[in-house]
Amino acid sequence: MTDRRRINGPPSGTRPAVFASSLNSASDIATGRPQRQRQPNELRKIFLKTGLIPSASGSAYLEYEPSASLAAARSSPKSLIPPSSALKLACTVHGPKPLPRSATFSPNLVLTTHIKYAPFAARKRKGHIRDASERDLGVHLETALRGVIVAERWPKSGLDITITILEAEDDRWWGDAPDSHDAPWGMMNVLAGCITAASAAISDARIDCLDLIAGGVAAIVADESEDGEAKPKLMLDTDPAEHKAILSACVVAYMPSRDEITEIWLKGDSSKALLGPDDKRSGHEALLDGAVDAARGAHSVLAEAVRESAERFAGLAPGGGATQ
Amino acid sequence: MASTLPALAIPGQRLGPVTSYSAGPGTHVQQSNVYASIAGPVVVEPAQPGSKGKATLSVSRSIRAPGTGNASKPVTTAPGAKPAATSATPKPKVKYNTLPAVDSVVLARVTRVQKRQATVSILVVLDESGSTQGVNPSQTTSDNDNIEAILSSAANPENHSSSDELRFQALIRKEDVRAVEKDRVVMDEMFRVGDIVRGTVISLGDQSFYYLTTARNDLGVVMARSEAGNMMFPVSWKEMRDSVTGQAEMRKVARPF
Repeated sequence: MTDRRRINGPPSGTRPAVFASSLNSASDIATGRPQRQRQPNELRKIFLKTGLIPSASGSAYLEYEPSASLAAARSSPKSLIPPSSALKLACTVHGPKPLPRSATFSPNLVLTTHIKYAPFAARKRKGHIRDASERDLGVHLETALRGVIVAERWPKSGLDITITILEAEDDRWWGDAPDSHDAPWGMMNVLAGCITAASAAISDARIDCLDLIAGGVAAIVADESEDGEAKPKLMLDTDPAEHKAILSACVVAYMPSRDEITEIWLKGDSSKALLGPDDKRSGHEALLDGAVDAARGAHSVLAEAVRESAERFAGLAPGGGATQ
Repeated sequence: MASTLPALAIPGQRLGPVTSYSAGPGTHVQQSNVYASIAGPVVVEPAQPGSKGKATLSVSRSIRAPGTGNASKPVTTAPGAKPAATSATPKPKVKYNTLPAVDSVVLARVTRVQKRQATVSILVVLDESGSTQGVNPSQTTSDNDNIEAILSSAANPENHSSSDELRFQALIRKEDVRAVEKDRVVMDEMFRVGDIVRGTVISLGDQSFYYLTTARNDLGVVMARSEAGNMMFPVSWKEMRDSVTGQAEMRKVARPF
């Protein structure tokens, strides 16, 4: 079907431009790939601030610290392409508001979640219509939040949670190195960020919650060490651009004060993890524990941001950003 | 009692055991402990002397929470006046999410008048304390930022349909309009489209409408415009008069204060 509303491209089709690789040699690949500078259990810093969108009843903005390689690339640029990206997203909460007239009676709050990548958010341009992965993320987020909201306190009303991802986490390093893994690992970091930001925005809207819910990511990573041997290791808050091979990853939505998990997403083969000699945990248990630890870290930032929102609400202090 | 209560709580924060407190609004009970479920100042309401009840813990949704231990609560403000305590920083507008509940007093705009019922859209859910002493716009709780602006723009027919979808809808049935002579009620002589009505919620109703009643002396039309478009003033319980032309119109008038 032809599209009459827009100016269309030429009907005959065009050839995509093919660019020469900016990575000419193996040494470029070796030096160009960002390296993880953090400890395996060290998280990236998080910036989280609530109440930035005045027209919404609650809102939050979340940003991860860019990896060290980005700062290095800025000071001595080798390429125009930034080596890695860091998550930036904005979350708005609208409601509680009346349900649409067509909806049936609901004694509970009806939650709807939308996650949308901005077209420029990822290295691969996203369309304006939500695609399958965005809908999938929305469903994951809804599951995570449904367990934490006290829905029966808001009869006959709906809550819309909309997240715009301004900069997405990379799924892999951009360079077409032959050993790059190719699976959407970045989505898991995006989901963890979405959960944390949505929790802050819901608290900002003063919807009753059981707890603040934080998202965390852990992964089993098989990077080559000096002797060329891949040892699968557990790492928290992995940036997929920094790793050659992520074997499996896990994201959880975790309520620290109740020690409960409302959402788990575990992907990949977790059986190969080499844990400590006296560590009897299986790989996926270790992954889950790691993700929970990462969520605890995110929770400390979240609690600070929500406390700030409450202070601003009570007129006690002017607002400021919370960082870990 | 326990002096370890925080001044400000965040969701999931433990406030106290249920043996010494009962859980009020904004809190929930989990494993014999009261936890906060919203972020805000913690309010302790002491038990009634004489009764064997426990003190009620709640987390305030309202900025005017008394006795929070934070000395930053300007309680009395004249309508339209800025609280003096916040003159240094521009005070961010406080948002509430209070739904209409049974017995809450609301201000609503009439959107449709039919033979058996009037459809209204709820503009403001008034504060509990405000309901007894009248409409003081600075003391009302709603997520609408400027109540005066909403009310004064009410009779303007241009901005009716746009925002009504976002507001809670309600019905005033013919038999709920007044307490006496219920069967003689003519809806056209009670409400007109655009009137601002004060009513109380009698039921959460069905999926789309709350049910309101105006069957009390202090309930009914509080603001109305005449057919000529001028504001009207009440002259009796069933009549309002145009301030310019002197034309009288029939309404179910709320008792002015």
